[in-house]
Amino acid sequence: MDIFGSVGSAAAANLLTPAILFFVLGMVAGLLRSDLAIPEQVAKTLALYLMLCIGFKGGVEAHRAGLSSELLASGALGLALSFLTPFAAFALLRVISKLDRTTAAAVAAHYGSVSVVTFAAASEYLRGIGVEFSGHMAAVLALMETPAILAALLIVGGNASQGAHNPRRGALLREVLLNGAAVLLVGSFVIGAITGERGYDRLEMFVNPLFQGVLCLFLLDMGLVASRQLAMSPNLQFNLLAYALTWPLLAAAIATIASAQIGLSAGDTTLMAVLAASASYIAAPAAMRIALPRADAGVYLSLSLAITFPFNLLIGIPLYQAAADFMVR
Amino acid sequence: MNLVTRKKLEIFVEAHALSHVERMLLNEGVKGWSVFDGVEGAGAHGAWRQSAVDGGGDMRLIIAVTNEPAAQKALAWLKDYFSDYRGLVCLSDVQVLRPERF
Repeated sequence: MDIFGSVGSAAAANLLTPAILFFVLGMVAGLLRSDLAIPEQVAKTLALYLMLCIGFKGGVEAHRAGLSSELLASGALGLALSFLTPFAAFALLRVISKLDRTTAAAVAAHYGSVSVVTFAAASEYLRGIGVEFSGHMAAVLALMETPAILAALLIVGGNASQGAHNPRRGALLREVLLNGAAVLLVGSFVIGAITGERGYDRLEMFVNPLFQGVLCLFLLDMGLVASRQLAMSPNLQFNLLAYALTWPLLAAAIATIASAQIGLSAGDTTLMAVLAASASYIAAPAAMRIALPRADAGVYLSLSLAITFPFNLLIGIPLYQAAADFMVR
Repeated sequence: MNLVTRKKLEIFVEAHALSHVERMLLNEGVKGWSVFDGVEGAGAHGAWRQSAVDGGGDMRLIIAVTNEPAAQKALAWLKDYFSDYRGLVCLSDVQVLRPERF
């Protein structure tokens, strides 16, 4: 079968997994204005559970594998992608759209940063098709959350200081380095790396059997949130829509080539591509609201949450896996 | 009944700014306030809704009853703050029973 045929069948198989179908259910329910809703505190708890599992299992697997050169190379590549891609994204946005400098920088930060749920869905997809990947990719995920935010601040530079309260440096530093998602992800990874097999034996019944179900429930909520965001942004420029659909492909291609060059496995290359292609909708919006309050939150949230997230989830993940398989084979 | 006029501040801010604004209220002499969760709404910055994603986008309502000088100082601070950040403040007269508390 040619590569297009295999991508097509992989994409079709991906679409028929429970997690993806629950996401679609959430989107459809949202678009039809159903009163289906996941209480906010429940959704926050589900998000915490997912981050704990991803971090902890990644830490345990890193403990098994030990400190390897591959881990260091993956981390360095992740940091470089997260820090450097926003500069290219910003330049592209300024050329193709009428976004002001501040909003373009904020959008670029979102696309340099990463989506934990896209990573979780990609991990489950790889497990489902029997492709192995390294546990330390969870650490790469954590590493890639912040550099893009710093890059956006560098891009905007002096223009960030618009008033006496902006930027609120203490709050920003706390948000960037100590936001709940980052603390739990890194903390769980460290706990997993310290406790290894012994810790895994104790938590296995918590982090494994429930994971798929919780992911389904969280993706249902994400579908509802994405459809609401889509409904709130009817005037999105065509150029921005095109950006939200093509930038992930470009970023994934760069990450795939770079990962293959440094010798990562097909599974790790896929996850690196997924991380590069994904856009943040938790850490980056929180930091941008503090650092660049005049950036249009409606634009960056709509693009990352309502366009790029569904695209990556439905089509991107199998596509990046097929490309990684082709490159690394 | 002996009622005395005081000022009520209703301050609506993003969740990330809550501690920042509370510190200001304390510094400007406001003796007490209560904080409430915002559920959803719409305004100059478009529609918003409480959500597990979009960290920091949630809104909080702070209600404080205080004396005139403290209210004016808080207003001056908030005028500057809202030149950058989302939110609003309303000031109104209220009648209170125990004025020494405010």
